[in-house]
Amino acid sequence: MRVAVTGTPGTGKTTAVDRLDTDLAVLHLNDVIHEEEFVVEHDEERDSAVADIDAVADHLDGRDDVLFESHLAHHFDADRVVVLRTHPEELERRLTDRGEPEAKAEENAESEALDVILSEAVERHGEDSVYEIDATESDPEDVAAAVEAVVAGEREPQAGTVSFLDYL
Amino acid sequence: MSETQDDKWGIAHVHASFNNTIITITDETGAETLAKSSGGTVVKQNRDEASPYAAMQMAEVVAEEVRAQGVEGVHVRVRGPGGNQQTNPGPGAQATIRALARAGLEIGRIEDVTPIPHDGTRGPKNAGF
Ligand SMILES: Nc1ncnc2c1ncn2[C@@H]1O[C@H](COP(=O)(O)OP(=O)(O)O)[C@@H](O)[C@H]1O
Ligand SMILES: [Mg+2]
Repeated sequence: MRVAVTGTPGTGKTTAVDRLDTDLAVLHLNDVIHEEEFVVEHDEERDSAVADIDAVADHLDGRDDVLFESHLAHHFDADRVVVLRTHPEELERRLTDRGEPEAKAEENAESEALDVILSEAVERHGEDSVYEIDATESDPEDVAAAVEAVVAGEREPQAGTVSFLDYL
Repeated sequence: MSETQDDKWGIAHVHASFNNTIITITDETGAETLAKSSGGTVVKQNRDEASPYAAMQMAEVVAEEVRAQGVEGVHVRVRGPGGNQQTNPGPGAQATIRALARAGLEIGRIEDVTPIPHDGTRGPKNAGF
């Protein structure tokens, strides 16, 4: 089984996945992209590497029993796609506390308010494979437990369960 | 597009989330709000239809309001992919633009200014318009 854990930066993917009790091999895709230089160009404005999606897909090709975590994870074949959600105000606070520039915190918060990643995940995988989890009020252990429940088949797919438009 | 010196133009800001759309029409500087329609009034019995249908209705209302204020046309700025397994920029945004035009507003530049999630890496930009 292949599980993708996606969500806007700051929703707590890395923190939750580090606490996961699982037999699946865990991959942090952002690290893979930088280490393997799966990059097509550099976005100067955002100080971000534009990921080479095809190269990452090839890297993941043939790997089963793997869980990969990144805000790009939903771009790749997966049996189940977890989309972590966090209210944009809390998300902006977390990113700012993590020392990120204000412009980056704001653009990510706006992405979260507009459901950008959820929409991409549903468009790519369909609603039957997407598991949206609102992590706004949850501590990392609870988020990890919710991801474990998805892996174990103990959760129903869901999408569109939160509305964060009040942030705008 | 026939934008002359004395035509009054505005900007239609369309925010399209997974299952909602908000339309705000401002003056050309973006400073003054001329009309606003919140998606909160949307009836969501059938989600496949709700988004474009509601967006269309909201667009009709705001178009009337700004035409009454002498606005001839709008440039459109779309933020957000919209949802429900449609292609970008989402059914709400497309329905909105069509409804604005049908209500008699000229449509100028259409820009996709959807934010991009990024964290040292980012995905390729969607095709957009
Ligand atoms: N459940 C949580 N509750 C509160 N803060 C959290 C939670 N999960 C993560 N954080 C904090 O938010 C920030 C972003 O978390 P991180 O795991 O790096 O997010 P992501 O990998 O999704 O970008 C970190 O500073 C982290 O300590
Ligand atoms: Mg991370």
